Amino acid sequence: MGSLFDPITIEILWRRLISIVDEADSSVARTAFSSLLRDAHDYTCMFTDRFGRELAQGTFATPGQSGAMALGIKKLINSFPEGYFRPGDVLITNDPWILAGHLNDVCVLSPIFYKDKLVAYTACVFHHSDIGGRVASDNHDVFEEGLFIPPVKLFEKGVLNQAIMDIIRWNVRTPEQVIGDIRSQIAANHVCSEKIKQMMEETELETLDDLAEQIIMITEKSIREEIEKIPDGVYYAEGIIEQPKGKDDIVIKAKVEIRGKDVIVDLTGSSPQVDWGGNVVYNFTYAYVFMAIKSMFAPDIPNNEGCARPITLIAPYGSIVNCKFPAACAARMQIGHFLTEIIYKALSTVLPDRVIAGSGGTPAAMNVFYGRRKDGSQWHSVIIRGGGMGAGLKNDGNYVFIFPANGANTPVEIFENDTPLIVEKRELIPDSGGPGRTRGGLGKREVFRVPDDEYAPLPPVNLGIQAGRYVYPPEGLFGGKPGRRGVFLVNGKEGNPYGLTQLMPGDVVTIDAPGGGGYGDPYERDPDLVLNDVIEGYVSIEGALRDYGVYINPDTMEINFEKTRDLRERKFKM
Amino acid sequence: MADRNFRLGCDIGGTFTDFVLLNDDTGEIYTAKCLTTPKDPSDAVEEGIKILSKKVPGFISELKEFIHGTTLVINSIIERKGAKTGLITTKGFRDVLEIGREIRYAPYDIFAEFPKPLVPRHLRMEVDERIRSDGSVLRPLNPDEVRSVVKRLVSKGVESIAVCLINSFENPSHERMIEEIINEEAPWISTSISYKVLPQIREYERTSTTVTNAYVKPLTEKYLSNLKERLQRLGFRGKLFIMLSSGGITSVETAKEFPVRIIESGPTAAVIAAQYYGKHFNISEMFCFDMGGTTAKSCLIQKGEAGVVPTFEVGRVQRFMKGSGLTIQVPVVDLMEIGAGGGSIAKISKMGTLKVGPESAGADPGPICYDRGGEDPCVTDADLLLGYLDESYFLGGEMKLNKDKARYGIEEKIAKPLKVTLTQAIWGIHDLINETMAAAAKTHIAEKGGNPKIVTIAAFGGAGPVHAYGLAKKLGAKKIMVPPNAGVGSAMGFFTAPRAFDALVSHKVSLSKADFSEIEDIFKKLEREAASTLFVEYSKEGIIFTRSVDMRFVGQGSEISVPVSYKPFYEFKKEEIRRIFDECYEKLYGRTYPESEVEFINFKVRAQLPEKLLKLSKIEKKANKNLQEAVKGKRLAFSQLKKEFIPFTVYDRYKIFPGAKFYGPAIIEERESTVVAGEDTEISVDDYGFLWIEIKGG
Repeated sequence: MGSLFDPITIEILWRRLISIVDEADSSVARTAFSSLLRDAHDYTCMFTDRFGRELAQGTFATPGQSGAMALGIKKLINSFPEGYFRPGDVLITNDPWILAGHLNDVCVLSPIFYKDKLVAYTACVFHHSDIGGRVASDNHDVFEEGLFIPPVKLFEKGVLNQAIMDIIRWNVRTPEQVIGDIRSQIAANHVCSEKIKQMMEETELETLDDLAEQIIMITEKSIREEIEKIPDGVYYAEGIIEQPKGKDDIVIKAKVEIRGKDVIVDLTGSSPQVDWGGNVVYNFTYAYVFMAIKSMFAPDIPNNEGCARPITLIAPYGSIVNCKFPAACAARMQIGHFLTEIIYKALSTVLPDRVIAGSGGTPAAMNVFYGRRKDGSQWHSVIIRGGGMGAGLKNDGNYVFIFPANGANTPVEIFENDTPLIVEKRELIPDSGGPGRTRGGLGKREVFRVPDDEYAPLPPVNLGIQAGRYVYPPEGLFGGKPGRRGVFLVNGKEGNPYGLTQLMPGDVVTIDAPGGGGYGDPYERDPDLVLNDVIEGYVSIEGALRDYGVYINPDTMEINFEKTRDLRERKFKM
Repeated sequence: MADRNFRLGCDIGGTFTDFVLLNDDTGEIYTAKCLTTPKDPSDAVEEGIKILSKKVPGFISELKEFIHGTTLVINSIIERKGAKTGLITTKGFRDVLEIGREIRYAPYDIFAEFPKPLVPRHLRMEVDERIRSDGSVLRPLNPDEVRSVVKRLVSKGVESIAVCLINSFENPSHERMIEEIINEEAPWISTSISYKVLPQIREYERTSTTVTNAYVKPLTEKYLSNLKERLQRLGFRGKLFIMLSSGGITSVETAKEFPVRIIESGPTAAVIAAQYYGKHFNISEMFCFDMGGTTAKSCLIQKGEAGVVPTFEVGRVQRFMKGSGLTIQVPVVDLMEIGAGGGSIAKISKMGTLKVGPESAGADPGPICYDRGGEDPCVTDADLLLGYLDESYFLGGEMKLNKDKARYGIEEKIAKPLKVTLTQAIWGIHDLINETMAAAAKTHIAEKGGNPKIVTIAAFGGAGPVHAYGLAKKLGAKKIMVPPNAGVGSAMGFFTAPRAFDALVSHKVSLSKADFSEIEDIFKKLEREAASTLFVEYSKEGIIFTRSVDMRFVGQGSEISVPVSYKPFYEFKKEEIRRIFDECYEKLYGRTYPESEVEFINFKVRAQLPEKLLKLSKIEKKANKNLQEAVKGKRLAFSQLKKEFIPFTVYDRYKIFPGAKFYGPAIIEERESTVVAGEDTEISVDDYGFLWIEIKGG
């Protein structure tokens, strides 16, 4: 290893790397075409050293993409012979097994050359709202799910390979949007490359190797110190995840071992892979195991290769958590997102203050709406959605969030601009947060109407859904109660959330995101907090009585402390 | 007295109110500083004017402009002391304000906190109406329903109502009707309507900005009316202006209507002043450092330009964390403000370590040494005991500091509990606050792509020059600039602020279909509008117009700004415009795609008056002047290098002269501030009386 930077310099350079990636990240909002990217932020920008080791990622990254990229980019780069990349090259791939686990996540990677030497890579994975194929969770293999792009050079020494663009263009429903978004990826990499070169010039760095080594070392040391503070031991948990109707539940078994400064997670015993899109590739499983460990031991250290070093993951090949090609995997988040809360559950007894109960944003929900307008033109919009987060030892669950993934909502006004649909509601659902000493976060209701007036689109309007928790609600912890389940209604009747739903003009769709689980016995919740929840409409008067044993007089909106005490004492005697 | 052409700048901070009176013809400057009066800030303004009147009798009636900035608005948001506010919105969307954009700003922190909305849920009411995304009416508004909603809000005691309906930026007719009904039903209620505050797509950002405006509107109105009345009573006949967060200035009328635009008006002044100095002295990387009684504001100014960002956050619940505050979509100078000032309170943390700030003792009671009943040890107390401040020359001797009380307080509350010596305690307080500021400064500088080691620190504020040397040492910076009257120097920014008005019209049309004659008409109309606004606020003469268009590829969600030269738009060829767009796009993003169609989104005009240059008056050089005449004596003060008290030479800033050069350890005293320079420094004075401190050591 070369020269060491002094503590001030390393801090400055490190922060600068992060802000460069953030700059690339925020360029996407300005250059992207689909609202899933520019508004919902379903993408991750990353910067690695010349060995493919992650050095920095965008602050608003989504852990599934970033965790999978951290493994994937390294593997990808090392699969090419030395000298493979030339200045001006841009690589593209959406191989789910190399990167983020489904075809919609397209990676664009650019080598960064400085003074003719390869010094680093910049890469971004964007969740494209359209990659062709059949848009549903119940496909049987990856070929049904859309266009598969192996790692190929989209640009060679700065020259576009038009054939690849043409293949993409003719395999998707909304080519202008998809091509525009790929261009946005190229632009993000450009912004990152230029700023890195500028930084190297200004700081007179010839190579980033020493900087990389030191950043990774500091990070690794600090997360390992945190892990070491926890007593050694082996902890177990099991997660039961519902499947489409008529299929058995999926079981994920986790054995989490803390051994000195290491964490070993073994998922042996988990269900085998399935014949629909819920299969999870190793990288994606790893991403959400990593998310759990990182959030417990080093939530505030900027993410890089060093954070990952103490973590070992064992996931049996051919199981639901490490599926084999060509398994269907479009809906991998429906299963993969659960890993984080299963790890929390395993470690909840040793680290009760660093975990939260089950979350309504696990899994993230995705809706793909598409069809034709009255004039025959194609429209297509993808929105993502979270729910209430689980409560923690000292805090009520936050809401409304995608968790453990991340992403934003699409503003109603943007959605209505992009589609012929009308959004009738986007609101919180009272009583949806799991009761507990601390309450789970609230779920969210969204109602969509297909117009049947002069604005009616050509029938049908297609709706593909990826979501979950329609059967099993987010669980509570330590006596906390579960949150409210997810609900999917078409014209007031239960719909099939796993298939492709076809809607007609006049149809109304209601989608309720689940609430988070509570933490601790709800009868121990401070009655004043319950009253406040009732005043604000987060909890109903009936809910306060039923779930919390707090009697509120509906006329005065005051707590009847006598009745409340009686109620609560009676429960404890039982 | 025709030669008297005065402007008065006034910065109402959390602790002090600073005044600079400028004679535009001669460049002469008079200053004053007094404690802020939070209950009615205009008390302090009157006090300051009285002090200045002693120096320049009768100036008030000859004053052309009174330009000021205040932290009042932002403080009322941070402290949640705004009006009880209600929100009226479209049925189905009352939770938009609370749901926000749903992104977790710290993806790995599961306990990240989020700010509570300024309007609680029970004061957010819905009306059953709907506008479609193209602006047509899907469901008409029912006036009776609005009346009953307004009555309900009024019965709940709201003082201010925000109105934000879905798609109102496309068709504001329903919002207008609601505004009229509120005015009929409850004319005393203050209203903020989203189509006026921020007529832009994206309901959360628009609602949040409108609600914030509503939250601070009653208090801003009251404050500005009070101030105006008071100034008139004192004989002021000129124009009253207030600084915008974006660095421009605006009339009281506009500020009352849109207080959300003046949230950062106070902190911005120093940046504008520094920007001016940066240009004047041609400093490529300048770090503006303004440390007052309550907070420290900093901003990196590159090549004489401070950045302006289109949106910002206030009241971040997690320090420094983007995403943890309330979103406000108005342009603002990209500065960083942290809770570190002379009044920052030192205490022992739960873990038994020393902690300084962000809580402040403010003006009342202030640090212990002010002897106004303050009992918490503050940074100023430590600075006094370290020998940096002179107990009998604070505010030029107008305020006597009580050293014994400060010593006793720090001894009892810090030194004894921590089991350290008094010296360790006072140095610890000074050093720790410097460390806090340095950490924030490093983040800010790195984020802007700057390098702290090459910045010139421009020190402002009462505490700025006291702490600039320590900050520079921690940043590795080698140069500090201290303008004359640095203690009130930020108020100079009020005089150098650009006088401009920006007008914009949204009109989406593809380049291929656009009619350039029509566009020329749009520009002409915008120019008339901008000119008339400028005329109302300033004057008509010498207005300079600049034009630009916002363009994008068809299908993108946001635009890039493309400057177009000033000539009739129909004289442009379409290929020419296309070429300019492609050049701009390629510069930003590396590649452009000439085969893909582009469109116009906005047409923009900036009308600007010629920059009113400040005369930086040169100080006459006198040959053979003896620097000894400026030496007040020697004082023991703490050496950061030796970690012990050593004799510092104390200079009177008003007696040092251009061309003078001397070495640290030195303390240079002026009325409103004190400059501290360690023994590894060389200090020189330029023709304008600016101090340039060069740090020789590491």
